[in-house]
Amino acid sequence: MEATVWESSSGGASGYDDNYAQDIKDEEECLCASGYLRKLQFRKHASTARWNDQMGMAEVLENKGSLWTTTGIVRCGKIYCSIEKTLFLIEVGALHLLDHDNSSLSLKDVYKKVAEGKNGYLWEQFEVYRHLKSLGFTVGKHKVPWSLKSVRNGSDISSPSSIENKGASDVKSEDERSIFELLDAIQLDEVTPIFDVFLPHNKFRKSSPGDPNFMVCLTRGYPPSKKDIEVLERTSRGIPMKYCYVEHGRVCLFSFDNVELPILP
Amino acid sequence: MGPRWKGKGSEAKALADPMSNTVFQLQSSLTQSDAQGLLSGSTVLYQADEEQTDLLNRACFGRPILSAEKDKQWFQFGMEEALYLSYHLNCLKIVDGQDCEKNFQEVWKDMKSQKSTFPEFYIAYRHLRLKNWVVRPGSQYGVDFVAYRHHPALVHSEFAVLVLSKGEGSNENGRLRVWSDFLCTIRLCGSVAKTLLVLTVNDNGSGFVSPSCLDSYSIEERTVTRWSPEQCRENPAKV
Repeated sequence: MEATVWESSSGGASGYDDNYAQDIKDEEECLCASGYLRKLQFRKHASTARWNDQMGMAEVLENKGSLWTTTGIVRCGKIYCSIEKTLFLIEVGALHLLDHDNSSLSLKDVYKKVAEGKNGYLWEQFEVYRHLKSLGFTVGKHKVPWSLKSVRNGSDISSPSSIENKGASDVKSEDERSIFELLDAIQLDEVTPIFDVFLPHNKFRKSSPGDPNFMVCLTRGYPPSKKDIEVLERTSRGIPMKYCYVEHGRVCLFSFDNVELPILP
Repeated sequence: MGPRWKGKGSEAKALADPMSNTVFQLQSSLTQSDAQGLLSGSTVLYQADEEQTDLLNRACFGRPILSAEKDKQWFQFGMEEALYLSYHLNCLKIVDGQDCEKNFQEVWKDMKSQKSTFPEFYIAYRHLRLKNWVVRPGSQYGVDFVAYRHHPALVHSEFAVLVLSKGEGSNENGRLRVWSDFLCTIRLCGSVAKTLLVLTVNDNGSGFVSPSCLDSYSIEERTVTRWSPEQCRENPAKV
């Protein structure tokens, strides 16, 4: 009854119906006693991977289904999954994870691994990954090549940063371990991009991913400063940047766009 | 979010009647009558004749004061409006209670003492007015200003404007410091179909001590919007 009254009182104004509908949806989301439950597409056939503690990644042993065309990086003919990707796949039931001794790892074991992560924002990072993946976006770690071929093709994001150069040379020396240490070393203290994101489409190729449609920065606590935004704008080669804020499992993305209002007659 | 015109024909009406034109007529009319505004607190009061009343209403300067006086209409200007009329358009003298004219320096000091962020606010106001946007107070929407493409009778305001400062006394306005500030402001702007426009004014070291800083500042326009990946899955242009 109350809901109807509200609807009739604020729904009449023209132009903001979309926003209004969104508000109602958000409202319901909050009111829902069971909390925010995503609709997951559970998979029937699970792939298998083995966790490698040294690398902090899972090596895929048996891959089933088409999801692997947009998940995991390729090195020496093998697919490796970062912890976010691994966790996401386990959550949706698409992956069966083994420990180094081939014993099964449960979801709880992987949650614990995330909790132990050196960088204190791994869970939030995972939530951003899950949010975008659930919507069908293709999400890669920022500046981590999808495959060695994509490095040779030069189609990854290549700005002259030390991380990138070091990453590329490590890839060439095929010293997998140090690549992944490098990943850990990406400091979240500064506002830096964490993900390169591609819109959902079926033309995505790991060997030639092209430029991402946008990049995502996870912010720590505070919104990005004007200086942060300007620095990133200068180095992002025109690729849009989204600033992400995660709280209580709710992922919010923001655009801070430089504009110039037109001079009117 | 584009302009939301109020009803059919509004856009054409606006096009046929450019705001710059109206402001120019107002400027001429005020200059001719040697207009004097009375500074009272942070307000400037002005008694307008019939033609000026029409022009002030059409150009959206000031706020008419209801009174029993029939032949003349009193207006009250905000600080930014008053300074824009007096020192940018040079068509309004600002006087005190003894009818003594106050110079730019004095008025600037006065207004700055009323509101420490006045210089940034004035610069932001002037910046938008120079581009012929109609700028009105934004307190109704919890922001500093709202900006219209033309007269509010024809179009809804498009931008909710917040003024931030960059320089010596950074962000004295105190807005948008934490994420909840953004969430709150953007949520409110969204529900009234406005885009949040953040104007960052940099004093470039002048400290805004004197009006001469009006020659050395820089200003940046940035919109801040909530981006919804759900609605942009198919269209790269919406990213």
